[in-house]
Amino acid sequence: MKINGNYTLNVTPAVFWEMVMDPNVLEKVTPGIKELKEEGPDKYEAISQVRVGPVKGNFNGNLVIKDKVPHESCTLEIDQKSKMGNVIAEIVMKMVPLEDDKTDIQYTGEAKMSGTLASMGQRIMSGVVSTLSKQFFKSMEEEIEKRDKN
Amino acid sequence: MEITLTVNGTEFTRDIEPRLSLTQFLREHLDLTGTHIGCDTSGCGACTVTLNGDAVKSCTILAVQANGSEVTTIEGMAKNGEMHPIQAAFKEEHGLQCGFCTPGMVMVAADILKHNSKPSEEDIRHGLKGNFCRCTGYHNIIKSIQHAAETINK
Amino acid sequence: MGNFIGKSVKRREDARFLKGAGKYTDDIKLPKMAHAAFVRSPYAHAKILSVKTEEAEKADGVVAVFTAKDGCGEFGVPCGWQVDFKNGETMREPKHPLLAKDKIKHLGEAVAIVIAETLEQARDAVELVEVDYEELPSVTDPKKAMEEGAPLVHDEWENNAAFDWCIGNDRAEVEAALEKAHHVTEMEYRNQRLAPNAMEPRSYIADYDVNGDKWTLYTSTQNPHLIRLLLCAFALGIPEHKVRVVSRDVGGGFGSKIYHYTEEALLTWASKEIGRPIKWTSDRSEAFLTDAHGRDHVVKSKMGFDKDGKIVAHLTDEYCGMGAYLSTFAPAVPTYLHGTLFQGVYTTPLIHLNVTAPFTHTVPVDAYRGAGRPEATYLLERIISKGAQEMGMDPAEIRFKNFIPPFDGVEEEGYQTQVALQYDSGNYEKALKRGLEMLGYEDFRKEQEKARKKGKLLGVGISTYIEGCGIAPSAVVGALGARAGLYEVGQVRVQPTGKVSVFTGAHSHGQGHETVFAQFVADKLGIPMDDVEIEHGDTEQVAFGMGTYGSRSLAVGGSAIIKSIDKILEKGAKIAAHKLEAAEEDLEYLDGKWTVKGTDKSISFGDVSLTAYVPHDYPEGLEPGLDFSSFYDPSNFTYPFGTHIAVVEVDADTGAVELQRFIAVDDVGNVMNPMIVDGQIQGGVAQGVGQALLEEVVYDEGGQMITGSYMDYAMPRADDLPMIETDRTTTPCPHNPLGVKGAGEAGAIGSTPAVVNAVVDALAHLGVTDIQMPLKPQTVWRAMQN
Repeated sequence: MKINGNYTLNVTPAVFWEMVMDPNVLEKVTPGIKELKEEGPDKYEAISQVRVGPVKGNFNGNLVIKDKVPHESCTLEIDQKSKMGNVIAEIVMKMVPLEDDKTDIQYTGEAKMSGTLASMGQRIMSGVVSTLSKQFFKSMEEEIEKRDKN
Repeated sequence: MEITLTVNGTEFTRDIEPRLSLTQFLREHLDLTGTHIGCDTSGCGACTVTLNGDAVKSCTILAVQANGSEVTTIEGMAKNGEMHPIQAAFKEEHGLQCGFCTPGMVMVAADILKHNSKPSEEDIRHGLKGNFCRCTGYHNIIKSIQHAAETINK
Repeated sequence: MGNFIGKSVKRREDARFLKGAGKYTDDIKLPKMAHAAFVRSPYAHAKILSVKTEEAEKADGVVAVFTAKDGCGEFGVPCGWQVDFKNGETMREPKHPLLAKDKIKHLGEAVAIVIAETLEQARDAVELVEVDYEELPSVTDPKKAMEEGAPLVHDEWENNAAFDWCIGNDRAEVEAALEKAHHVTEMEYRNQRLAPNAMEPRSYIADYDVNGDKWTLYTSTQNPHLIRLLLCAFALGIPEHKVRVVSRDVGGGFGSKIYHYTEEALLTWASKEIGRPIKWTSDRSEAFLTDAHGRDHVVKSKMGFDKDGKIVAHLTDEYCGMGAYLSTFAPAVPTYLHGTLFQGVYTTPLIHLNVTAPFTHTVPVDAYRGAGRPEATYLLERIISKGAQEMGMDPAEIRFKNFIPPFDGVEEEGYQTQVALQYDSGNYEKALKRGLEMLGYEDFRKEQEKARKKGKLLGVGISTYIEGCGIAPSAVVGALGARAGLYEVGQVRVQPTGKVSVFTGAHSHGQGHETVFAQFVADKLGIPMDDVEIEHGDTEQVAFGMGTYGSRSLAVGGSAIIKSIDKILEKGAKIAAHKLEAAEEDLEYLDGKWTVKGTDKSISFGDVSLTAYVPHDYPEGLEPGLDFSSFYDPSNFTYPFGTHIAVVEVDADTGAVELQRFIAVDDVGNVMNPMIVDGQIQGGVAQGVGQALLEEVVYDEGGQMITGSYMDYAMPRADDLPMIETDRTTTPCPHNPLGVKGAGEAGAIGSTPAVVNAVVDALAHLGVTDIQMPLKPQTVWRAMQN
């Protein structure tokens, strides 16, 4: 399944970068994340519960951040297992600076699913992914607002 | 949790797990095994029963949701040993083969005829859309329902 | 014709089904019964790195958790048919384990079984079993499976071929004839993968009785004795006389319930381990992943014609997917049940079929309603219509030109095909003529022309099929690789009061044997139908049997019963002669009594029965009792045939196909119960239409099934079909006592190409000559745009 989209945030690429690289922020903004444990440099163990419409499940697995080009781009490698099937995804995130200290976050990648997720969920998964991505950026915006207030 | 409901005219009270579906409740707790499970996505209709007079797929209803309701299953269709006119029509027109989808078909037929006493072939096909039959090609099920309509309207 | 034979007697089994009183396996509850659920692989191909069951074992209500390391790992289920390579190399037959141990070979393969007090507890505990996999690349397409470098399903062999096979004339000769042909029509397509989808999911209860050291297996199978044999002699190595297999009401099979499945053997094994009965019922998602699928042929074919449209040669190469393991009948399906029908109803002088059967990382593929014959019919009936279209001929005319002339198999000899078999009897043109007449073919063509001018896309499709069923002569199938005989057993037990119990090895899962068999038994014995009871589906009641598939129940099982009736009447005549003080040859048997010819002296069937069991005044030297069992081994297959015609309208804007009329003229030999035969045809047609328009199992590139539920796998619903117009011609089978041929699969065999031919016909003026099944709106729409 292809994943791609973009979202414009009211921060500079540098601020966004700093936030994404902060596990505390990531844990807060990633939908469904219950726990994010740092396992090594840029490697986390993630436990999440995702529930969107008929797709519901407890996932756990790894999140690796690689190919880091600070303030420009990075690649997220996600490997999540659940009883309803597993997801392996690789997403390239690019931060394109815009005027007024804004950044357009462009992401593109591919996710591979297995088990029930694939046989019953595939049809609706692209909808689920887009909902989750929106949630991610919405939460990010909230974090940015909080940060600005402080 | 405890629920009380009337099934085929008899009141039952049972203590059940909240996640139990109405189908499983009927099959496992009341031994009414005429209501069948043919899928897990509400696609096949083998589990059709009437709940307060309307046909429902009992696999999509939790037993607790049926608390206080009146349920009729296939076992409640025949009266005093006499088959309901719909059941008799299915036999007359060979509207069943393996019999697995049949209880659901009879229950949905009752619902079709309740809302429309003289359904056209198209009305019946539309009404049967939620129920799979893999044996008959629906041909004789449609004839059965037409036959039943004639008997009932006499 | 007697009182019942040939009449549409209403079914005796209906009352219990209509009242919800049928007893399907899942309806059975035994004392102390535990429930099983399976841990299944989410990958098509993977290494199993570890399986952790500790948490599950500790969970509420869990009785036991077993993996392949727990003793059941040594067992596997067998394949029942051996087809060796063309070069003589033995068929590659991998072990089909009850639980996967080190490696997963298809999606949904079981890794562990969890047994608990309730089904909910078993399912909850399945979630607690931790399996660590390393996913490996997989291949699900049969043609790709044979490409260089394709991922191997079984590491022990250098490629994925299970076997290869050919039939017919010398390939070079066929190729040479094609070179010289006036016109050669080519086709390349996939006969897609289908999920049989009997409405009752598979269900098993294994019950080990420690006191008697005996097992009872309640199973939703089409052939209880065959299951017992495979289970005892091959899967588990347990004594056959200690095992009872019961298969009473079964909610449809269509082939998928012939096979001996791993779950049957595993439950039987586990029941002894825990000393309790265990039930497992598949849910629909599991059914999609684990019930054997049907079809999956990748086909490349050429048919050569002379300038008059006569077929001169036919050459086909196929890749036929077997799935990850060889299921019970799997090797027979693309070979002996398929290639032997390549003659069709035509006089084609040169035929060659070459089959490569690879393993793929999918659930096994085996017989599904028609088994090999729908695939043969689809090819023949599509390619001859395509040939007609390319040569500007009428599809009916090209068929009339090529038909084998009528033969009854008695006066005229059976027809010897180029592909091993000899047809029993046939009159192919008669069925086509009747079909065209029912349609009003010429008027339809005019109407089609008119409609086309208004932009309305109407089409007609013809299919003139033949199939081979009533399987089968044991010596013949033995020579072809079957590891069992294919006779049938029929026992007729006359009770002292003259009531009759019939025990048949055939199995009814919708076919209505309890009615049809009673019809001819009552007629042959001249007694009321109510005096006859038909028993099936219990290995402790019925001596032996091969079960029901391949439209064989009446032709083979019915004939076995007739043989026993003959023995009953022969012995009865001896008793009657004694009682009537007459010579046997002076007696005639009519209307349930023996009468001394030309007199009114007679004795009834009931009195003779009583005498047989109370033999006070009895023929000297004759054994008491009136109970005979017979094995009937047919001398040939039977060959039902017919014409199916579909009329469709294609929506010019969306490509959606509406099936407007479907005409089926079938010749199934003599008919015992027309109502039931029509019902079989109508249901078969619906499944065939399903393949043409809607159904397809799709695995994605990672080996994941993306059509694993009724939300994604489309089957015909009531509003997808018209009323089916049926009629018959009757060409009796010359080699069995009832003259019957079989009706169970004909509908599914003839209908699919009729529908596709109709859609192609509707779009012919746009230059469309072929469309890949299923004919979904987007597929048809795309074909229209090119």
